[in-house]
Amino acid sequence: MDTLAALGHGFLVALTPYNLLWSAIGVTVGTAVGVLPGIGPALTVALLLPVTYGLEPTSAFIMFAGIYYGAMYGGSTTSILLNAPGESGSIVTAIDGHAMARQGRGAQALATAAIGSFIAGTIATAALTFVAPLMVKLALLFGPAEYFALMVLALTTVTAVLGSSLARGLASLFLGLALGLVGIDMQTGQARLAFGVPELLDGIDTVVVAVGLFAVGETLYVASRHRFETEEIYALKGSKWMSREDWSRSWKPWLRGTLLGFPIGTLPAGGSEIPTFLSYLVEKRLAKKPEEFGKGAIEAVAGPEAANNASAAGVLAPLLSLGLPTSATAAIMLAAFQQYGLQPGPTLFDNNPELVWGMIASLYIGNVLLLVLNLPLVGFWVKLLLIPRPWLYAGILVFSSLGAYTLNNNVIDLVILWVIGLVGFGMRVLNVPVAPCVVGLILGPLAEQQFRRALAISQGDPSVFLTHPISAALLIVAVLLVIGPMVLRYRSNGAGKGDSASRSDTHPAT
Amino acid sequence: MTTGRSMRAGEAVLGGGLIALGGLIAVETMLTPSVGRAVVGPALFPYLISGGLVLVGLSLLREAFAGAIAHAEGLELDLWAVALVAAGLAVQFLLLDTLGWIPSTTILFAAVARAFGGRRLMVNLAIGLALAAFTFVAFNYGLGLNLPEGSIVERLTSPDAE
Repeated sequence: MDTLAALGHGFLVALTPYNLLWSAIGVTVGTAVGVLPGIGPALTVALLLPVTYGLEPTSAFIMFAGIYYGAMYGGSTTSILLNAPGESGSIVTAIDGHAMARQGRGAQALATAAIGSFIAGTIATAALTFVAPLMVKLALLFGPAEYFALMVLALTTVTAVLGSSLARGLASLFLGLALGLVGIDMQTGQARLAFGVPELLDGIDTVVVAVGLFAVGETLYVASRHRFETEEIYALKGSKWMSREDWSRSWKPWLRGTLLGFPIGTLPAGGSEIPTFLSYLVEKRLAKKPEEFGKGAIEAVAGPEAANNASAAGVLAPLLSLGLPTSATAAIMLAAFQQYGLQPGPTLFDNNPELVWGMIASLYIGNVLLLVLNLPLVGFWVKLLLIPRPWLYAGILVFSSLGAYTLNNNVIDLVILWVIGLVGFGMRVLNVPVAPCVVGLILGPLAEQQFRRALAISQGDPSVFLTHPISAALLIVAVLLVIGPMVLRYRSNGAGKGDSASRSDTHPAT
Repeated sequence: MTTGRSMRAGEAVLGGGLIALGGLIAVETMLTPSVGRAVVGPALFPYLISGGLVLVGLSLLREAFAGAIAHAEGLELDLWAVALVAAGLAVQFLLLDTLGWIPSTTILFAAVARAFGGRRLMVNLAIGLALAAFTFVAFNYGLGLNLPEGSIVERLTSPDAE
């Protein structure tokens, strides 16, 4: 009952005309930017950060919630009509969604994605409402040793589960951890790796690195490739409505996708990639016509899109209640909290209830607004896909540099953005995933802090991490996640050689 | 045209770069005098991370010469376009404080548009100028941020503010 009362207060905050306005602006710009090719949810949130600087925190995060959900909706439009998934969670949608668009059924694919996202988003937001307070209770049992183990697990899953090669994932992770070292050590005040540059004492900003990798690196890569690749956009034609058969083939995948997406989203399992793939496999197994999969089966759009949005809500549970980001997008949301001097976790629920619950309530509202925005207005969003590429990418870089500069009003951030962008281009060419770098950058310093706190409490005895049962269990899971796939790969080495390379071309920036 | 061999070279550069970064972090940490009397000082994590960087770098080097790499068959890259985009960004951060947001961002826009095959320079400059001016007005006056107007402009508009 406490939860419902708190949610009720949240709605009172979110439904004030002022906050409602910011929510509406958030979902609109979130969709608009999310639709643009090459811009996934992580980059959308990072690029739109400066827009919220002038707001007080509650309104800013209500707007953020809208941007986050809006970017998820917008991303599915790009992957269906352009076959250009902006993030790993949309890869699966792109397969059959784009096939449907080729057959002139793009409108139905967009509709099942939008309605599925609405249903999954609403159910998953309701689940978030009740799971987040439970996680807060769990978090109160956690000491520094448990937090450290949890962060190690999150870093491991982001690295080991995603991407095709463990070595490349680890390269990205350690690069992020190394960038996280720069600046003043929080416990002793000692400067580390600042090389005498005063601007580096505050550390390297997560947002600059995320924009550098996702926007600058990606733009450089697309610039290097666009002469050699052609794009196909399919116009929406014919009936815009889903037929009776479309509905009856969609509603079960929506619910099953939600059921897969939310729980996996709450786990430190790297966000939406796993649930969307699982949903695709489940639907293929249960379908009456599995041979249609890959050639435009509506189930293969409905299920994964629902899973994608449900996991987006799931990711917010550990983010808000534990301060633990489990995807690149969540890492940037955490950076946004830090920008406002807020640290997500149990204390946030105690000290800023109107912010937390206002934000959760606005997720419900945002979902409704997004359904209204996406079903009738989809033709308008499709127009955004037609922006000539030279102006689109030039505009992306203008807003990237604007975002990086306005963080601290300083040119050094633009130099860092440039360097990180060139590194990101190299990573993109060599097929190194960039998400572990972003998550490592923000989690590394937090993990170090918890590690040193745990050892200070245990007076230097490193066995605390193994004698505390929760911490030991989390660390064992992390080790198994690294070793398990290595053993499997070793055993099937003869049969599956070259397997990792075949997936590489479809993998987008995340 | 980038061949499979140069992709392997690229992978080797990545591996070598990580090893060099690991070495740099270790040396810098060694040279920094330690302060504080905490159980675990500020030097432990840098050492751990530099060790990790060296190990990952070595394993990438091994993959570069023997293992599976991405795009082993080669990948065509238009490096001229990459250089143009990178130059546009560099010009922007070099000129930002002097010329201000609007001119330097206009140059960035035109450079990127050209790299993506936009040939009408005047049109691109005009659109870039419009976007730069719009963001300058919207963010500085609408949202209260501080995009620089440029030291030249400041000197021209208020010559006695020495």
